[in-house]
Amino acid sequence: MSSIMDAFAVIFSFSGLACLVIGTAVGVVVGALPGLGPSIGITLLIPFTYNMPPELSMLLLIALYMAAEYGGSVSAILLSTPGTAAAAATTIDGYAMTRNGRANEALAVSLNASCVGGLIGAFALLLLAKPLASVALEFGPAAYFSVGLFGLTSVASLSSGSLVKGLLAGAFGLAIATIGIDPISGVPRFTFGVPELFEGIPFLTALIGLFALSEAFSLAEGGKTETHSMAPKVQFALLSLAQWRKLGGTIVSGSVIGTLLGILPGVGGNIACWVSYDFSRRRSKNPEDFGKGEPAGVAAPESANNATVGGAMIPLMALGVPGSPTTAVLVGALILHGLRPGPELFASEPVLVNTVLWGLAMTSIVLFFVGSLLLPVWGWVLRLSNSVIAVGIGCMAMLGAFALRNLMFDVYMTLAFGILGYILKKLNIPMAPIILSMVLGYLIETNYRTALVTSHGDYAIFVTSPLSLLFLVLSVLSLLLPIWSKLKSRR
Amino acid sequence: MSSKLSKFISTAVFGALLGTAGIAHAADFPQHRVNLVVWAGAGGALDTYGRELSKLLDEQAGWQTKVVNRPGGSGSVGMSYVLNQPADGYNILVHTSTLTFSIARNLMPYKLDDLRFVRAMQGEPSALAVRKNADLHSARDFVDAMKKDPEGLRVGGYGTGGFHQYMLYQFMNAEDFKAGWIPYDASGKVALALMGDHLDAAMMTPSSGLSQVESGDIRLLGISTDERSRYFPDVPTFKEQGIDLEGMVWRGVSVKAGTPDDVVASIQAALDKVQASDEWKTFMTQQKQDDIAIKDGDFTAMAEKQLKTQSAFLKEAGFQ
Repeated sequence: MSSIMDAFAVIFSFSGLACLVIGTAVGVVVGALPGLGPSIGITLLIPFTYNMPPELSMLLLIALYMAAEYGGSVSAILLSTPGTAAAAATTIDGYAMTRNGRANEALAVSLNASCVGGLIGAFALLLLAKPLASVALEFGPAAYFSVGLFGLTSVASLSSGSLVKGLLAGAFGLAIATIGIDPISGVPRFTFGVPELFEGIPFLTALIGLFALSEAFSLAEGGKTETHSMAPKVQFALLSLAQWRKLGGTIVSGSVIGTLLGILPGVGGNIACWVSYDFSRRRSKNPEDFGKGEPAGVAAPESANNATVGGAMIPLMALGVPGSPTTAVLVGALILHGLRPGPELFASEPVLVNTVLWGLAMTSIVLFFVGSLLLPVWGWVLRLSNSVIAVGIGCMAMLGAFALRNLMFDVYMTLAFGILGYILKKLNIPMAPIILSMVLGYLIETNYRTALVTSHGDYAIFVTSPLSLLFLVLSVLSLLLPIWSKLKSRR
Repeated sequence: MSSKLSKFISTAVFGALLGTAGIAHAADFPQHRVNLVVWAGAGGALDTYGRELSKLLDEQAGWQTKVVNRPGGSGSVGMSYVLNQPADGYNILVHTSTLTFSIARNLMPYKLDDLRFVRAMQGEPSALAVRKNADLHSARDFVDAMKKDPEGLRVGGYGTGGFHQYMLYQFMNAEDFKAGWIPYDASGKVALALMGDHLDAAMMTPSSGLSQVESGDIRLLGISTDERSRYFPDVPTFKEQGIDLEGMVWRGVSVKAGTPDDVVASIQAALDKVQASDEWKTFMTQQKQDDIAIKDGDFTAMAEKQLKTQSAFLKEAGFQ
């Protein structure tokens, strides 16, 4: 108990709060810039934490992690440029809301959803770390495959308009995901001897190209006539009671989805945001509004991606194994302080552990205030004319593509994806399924093959593992239910 | 600019000038900032090593260093970055023993001769690991079980055609048994797979599942060090159990081939200071890494020998 009190003393000390505020402010900016995500942000800050006590340095870094997950939505909503991979799903309805002149509402929904998601994830870490970590152990290759397959069924939801075009886009994404060194046999596939392609096409280059650059091209094409937004004021941060009543369920379910998927190493926010988006669309009474600027389409992915922060910390604290790339960088930061995360840390460094656990909950609260203060700053982005915004998006996209791996090659690839995205837009082919299946393709393929290597080629492994069976059944249901309800309505 | 700030800056600049002047007297290298080119992304063991090295080169040797992450292409991207700079020692490649695997698998359009090997500084063994409740109590038990039924146990580990699979291959050759290989794409996932009963035995770096090894949830049946590891004194080596299996994955630094001898000598002198420092020793203990200092010719010879044996393994395992 005294270690909890000591932890509170650290968190609420002047330097503790200062670390939280600075980390949050840096995190929002790092998150909003495409290409710079939470892991790069933390890497950049680590050198400044060498001489800080480990408790304070962890507060700084987890505040950055949490805030970056929110920051990604800011550029997604305002500029159609997802700042982080986990904000990809937010772009669809968030940017649509901006175009409808509801940018301030979208930003407020995102901020509220992010903070609630972050809090729920943090409390799951605080209260349920041990049991949830043991659930994560039950997931073998077969179960991971089935989770991935289940995620893929949301392609149908994302293909507004024509299902055929959605499936086409999904198949294209899966095809792109096969580029790179074969994860099981180690043979380079479709790389044409280009070493930059060995690790596959970085998902962020496709994301920035398809969403951001293509939008810049469209804006440039539109010329200066059309004003970008009707409501240049960003004024309120806390949602009204009526909005809470409408979005509360979505935010809570998104947070739960995010927490659970965050625990699974290799799944995380990039996938959670889509699953949550799909779930809230299916639950919605008016699913046809999704894609046209539905606030729930912002609340769902944003609550989910912030909840993955707490989720990803669960295997780290309970088992000593990082649950996401960002938590892997956090391990590096702890090691520089001579500490190694894991269950034994609870006994040897109780104050540090409690500072991290309670501090993570605090990051969401600090995020709410810092995020609110920053809202007016985003307001002036909306006052810019289309031509300025088009050039701005273009510059940010190029910088982001380069920052990813410091390679010009990635910039060229992003340009190619931008042109592709522009063409797809003209053809009315949705781009979200491409991104979704790129994220899932690797997960599905590696785990499918690992499962079969494990079972010596016996396909029964997918149904004998209970978790795998569960998700296979869910996948079938999610495919059949819409067809069934359509048939019923026809009768 | 406030006068206070400008005063601070001018002091700092003056101090820096004084500092470089001092070093220039002691040795001609380095005259300006040195890049440590890490061929992996942020986070992970290689990056951690690179960052500690950078910190200690600054503190112990008075250098000014910067870590540059150049991930991609199984190391090719980082390697080409260094090879495209002049051979003056200002770009030091921070790399792992993956180098020889990548060259052997033709994933890298370079040869060992393209580098001048400076020093291998960290070593980590591979260990045969099983779950707490497994019915295996020594590496011998494992060999017997595999001989009885090559498909009876699910064996795997981190990577495809990499160090741990190579160790298993050598293990199989030494003891004449057959085993499959279930690859996992992150070393942390191997420990989780063992704990969750998705693998029966793994070849893994003990530190990648340290919490579980220390708590006893994962048991190590044999370790590939020459003598018992000081970090895991209770784990018998393979050699002790009469199995001819020994090997380490290493992390070290190299420069472009053709870098002048006196520059390399200056780098070696700075690395001596780093490895002699208490901070380095503490860091290695915390990381459970073996502190090694295999230099110049010895390092080159080691890499050449590994390339040869690994090529044979990769050919047989169907990677070439």
